[in-house]
Amino acid sequence: MIKITDLEKIYRTEEVETIALNKLSIEVKEGEFVAVMGPSGCGKSTLLNIFGLLDDPDGGSFVFNGIEVAHFNERKRADMRKHNIGFVFQSFNLIDELTVYENVELPLIYTGVKSAERKEMVEKVLDKMKIMHRRNHYPQQLSGGQQQRVAVARAVVNNPKLILADEPTGNLDSANGGEVMELLTDLNEQGTTIIMVTHSEHDAKFSHRIIRMLDGQTVTENILI
Amino acid sequence: MKNKAFSFINIIGLAIGISVCLIIILFVYDELSYDRFNKKADQIVRVTFGGKLGGEVMKEAVVMAPVAQTLMQDYPEVLDATRLVKNNPTKISYKEKTFDNEITCAVDLNFFSVFTLPFVKGDPKTALVEPNSVVITEETARKYFGDEDPMGKVIEFKTYNATKKVTGIIKKIPANSHFHFDFFASMADVQAAKSTSFLYGSFYTYLVLQKGYDYKKLQAKLPQVAEKYMGPQLMQAMGINMQEFRKKGNDIGLYLQPLTDIHLRSDFTVNLEPGGDLRYVYIFGAIALFMLLIACINFINLSTAGASKRAKEVGIRKVLGSLNAELIRQFLFESILLAMIALVIGLALVKMALPFFNHLANKNLTLQILGNPFILLVLVAFGLLVGILAGSYPAFFLSSFKPVAALKSKFISKSKSISLRSGLVVFQFFISVMLIIGTSVVYRQLNYIQNKKLGFDRDQVLVLRNSGVLGDKEAILKEQLRNDPRVVNVSRSGYLPVKSNYNNMTLTFPDGNNLLSRRTNIYQVDEQYIPTLGMQMVEGRNFSKDFPTDSSAVIVNETLAKIYGWGNRAVGHNLDLSTGNNGGYKGLRVIGIVKDFNFKSLHEEIGPVMMVLQQSSGLIVKAKGKDISGLISSIKSKWATFNVDEPFNYSFLDEDYKTQYISESKTGTILGIFSTMTIFVACLGLFGLVMFTSEQRRKEIGIRKALGASVAGIVNLLSIDFLKLVLVAVVLATPVAWWAMNKWLMDFAYRIDISWWMFVLAAVTALLIALFTVSFQAIKAAIANPVKSLSTE
Repeated sequence: MIKITDLEKIYRTEEVETIALNKLSIEVKEGEFVAVMGPSGCGKSTLLNIFGLLDDPDGGSFVFNGIEVAHFNERKRADMRKHNIGFVFQSFNLIDELTVYENVELPLIYTGVKSAERKEMVEKVLDKMKIMHRRNHYPQQLSGGQQQRVAVARAVVNNPKLILADEPTGNLDSANGGEVMELLTDLNEQGTTIIMVTHSEHDAKFSHRIIRMLDGQTVTENILI
Repeated sequence: MKNKAFSFINIIGLAIGISVCLIIILFVYDELSYDRFNKKADQIVRVTFGGKLGGEVMKEAVVMAPVAQTLMQDYPEVLDATRLVKNNPTKISYKEKTFDNEITCAVDLNFFSVFTLPFVKGDPKTALVEPNSVVITEETARKYFGDEDPMGKVIEFKTYNATKKVTGIIKKIPANSHFHFDFFASMADVQAAKSTSFLYGSFYTYLVLQKGYDYKKLQAKLPQVAEKYMGPQLMQAMGINMQEFRKKGNDIGLYLQPLTDIHLRSDFTVNLEPGGDLRYVYIFGAIALFMLLIACINFINLSTAGASKRAKEVGIRKVLGSLNAELIRQFLFESILLAMIALVIGLALVKMALPFFNHLANKNLTLQILGNPFILLVLVAFGLLVGILAGSYPAFFLSSFKPVAALKSKFISKSKSISLRSGLVVFQFFISVMLIIGTSVVYRQLNYIQNKKLGFDRDQVLVLRNSGVLGDKEAILKEQLRNDPRVVNVSRSGYLPVKSNYNNMTLTFPDGNNLLSRRTNIYQVDEQYIPTLGMQMVEGRNFSKDFPTDSSAVIVNETLAKIYGWGNRAVGHNLDLSTGNNGGYKGLRVIGIVKDFNFKSLHEEIGPVMMVLQQSSGLIVKAKGKDISGLISSIKSKWATFNVDEPFNYSFLDEDYKTQYISESKTGTILGIFSTMTIFVACLGLFGLVMFTSEQRRKEIGIRKALGASVAGIVNLLSIDFLKLVLVAVVLATPVAWWAMNKWLMDFAYRIDISWWMFVLAAVTALLIALFTVSFQAIKAAIANPVKSLSTE
């Protein structure tokens, strides 16, 4: 599903040049559950951003679903992104001014789904995440675990092929964290490809494969199944 | 980086607001200060003439010759009375120096005890005692005498064939005086000053009242003066007494006007100088106030908004041990400092802009008032006030937070501050929309005035006002010009609908019916007058040499025909002129009606006009074709062949017309500039607010973009809220602006109609301006890389 070859990402300020990704090559097949681990600053978040078409690489090739996307402009990336990828962030990143329902609905609005259909899809996924009873509440009124469930609901409402999760349990206690990992595992068993960045060895055990990074490069790959 | 831009916008906005406000204040102060340099300013009143005659309302700033003396005799509360009579532009020479068009007048010998015009040489009490004396200004002295001592020297008033001895020199008359003359001759030499008529006169008359005396008390007694002195003369001239006169709805009488009211509250048909307009003082004053309000609101708004961005800084400082009091002091200090910087920049802007404004407004404003310590104190206090107001919200609100909450920026208060800010944006744009509508209406009205068809041709019409000096040869020049192929027609007359040499009126009545009399403008013309000026006949015919009886014929204008009830059928009627002798009159036969033409300012309705065949000097040349300059040089050489002292002088009628409205057009320009600045400052505020809001919503924008929102969608999201506010402002401003504009236009007898599309245009303009302002920041925010906004700490 995803294949990057010799990928480079360099951050330049006036004085400093930081090489975030140093000629990285990784392949993720459809249906895989991959965990990316490494110390702070090793480039895993950058890698996730590139995978999510949120940022563009400075060199190398990036083939997404058979299409070379490394040189896509913002509009094309946005298009590809909204139809194929769902995001789960560590700090949930819900919009505080919108209700739970409206938050989950947002990706559907951007892909042009009609109102009646939206309602059906949103309610279905809210139900699945067991957060339906809170659909008119605002994020500030929910606990951390509930907010993350909403975030996951938002990530899957569009039935994306790929889910990218950036430290999804980082802000949750162990009970809630376990719930989220279960959700992700379920989704993966139903066929969604998941790439997850994490610090937690415990969480990484849920994945099929662990890629460890250091200073912009892969160090080891452990296969866990 | 963003913070610097933010502060910069903030300071600049306030600085511009302060500078515009200050300039207007200087202007208004100047307008309100006219004539106050006179020590007795509060005791001086001017006597004016008012009346109603046959439906015409008369208001003149001049009165009859004996009024001054009479009032002083009859009323002990009048301590002194003096007169001034204005001369025509005078040609004056001293030895070989000659100047045309000098502004001269004659005054009573006590003039300089009434008005405070300091003498540099000579004694104010005695300067004009002797006949044939004249007092001149320092500048004039230098002009004629160079370094010589002018005292005792004799100069010639060539226009009046008189000589005068210089007996005094006064300092330059201040700019804010309602009169300016270079020569003050003695009234003793003016024959008309000895007249005993209480019905005719052109004397500006000023009274000095007892200190603290309310002039209205004296004014209440003046109807008795009318009865006692005007009554008998009225009986003589028109054969009716005052009572009957009044019963018919007519009246004549004297009124008093305080000296300090003259500049702004004079709407007399005859006046020394065009005054200011109190309405403009109000309008500009209002703009100054709004500008200041908008600028201050911006400053406070933006400072407050900007402060919430510093929540994190506050949190860190608290964690590091800062006390509340210290934080409060810090914020207040920063805010006051910014305000003071804005104040200084504002003053600098004023200094730079003042020469330009002075040129535009024909004024001489300076920043001298800053020398006054009281004023300085007010300015500093103002800066402090704005700084404190702007700083106190962040100072007290932010510094009260628990450090952790501030660090996590979780406190950002939403609803209350949002609605306050929204209200302020609405207010700012309410003002802006009003200004847009106001300015465009004023411009359209001015345009209308400048281009209005006046009922006579004013293009390519050359006027030779002083051709009278040619004497008999004037007729010769006229014939010579008529034969020139570049000339359509030439008329000999000194009467012009624009800047006429003469302004003569006489009492007329229709067909012997002296109960219907009206003051009527007289035009002394020749047979070519009407065709030369392209005027149209509505009935009957023009004067013609073929009809010798035309010497006792008259042509009237439509207004006169209407007033006398003749409608469109005036031919055959008689127009009678009062001979001033016991109700006697002489009759003229009406041979035609000329279509109404504007000859007064478009502020007034057209008055009644009668034209008679009588000699009056001045040549009016209607030219054609492209060789006007060739024509002019040819006239010049013809003029030279007549060997007269006077140089050849000409003007174009359409330019003369434009100069009538120069002051209005300048006012329009000033209004336009002020409006633009005010709108600019409002936009600056909007710009800053959008900048702040998009900053605040950075994370949300990032999320939406990650979820697939387009750039257009984000721009829309950010702009919609602001545009809604502007729309509200437009809806509120429209009825208010409509009412205000109607009121202003009512002052013009000839005016444009305010049509609905003007308001639509203004609304669209305001929305476009807002959209433009908002989109800068919105687009910038929309294309920012979402990655940066989404990354957590």
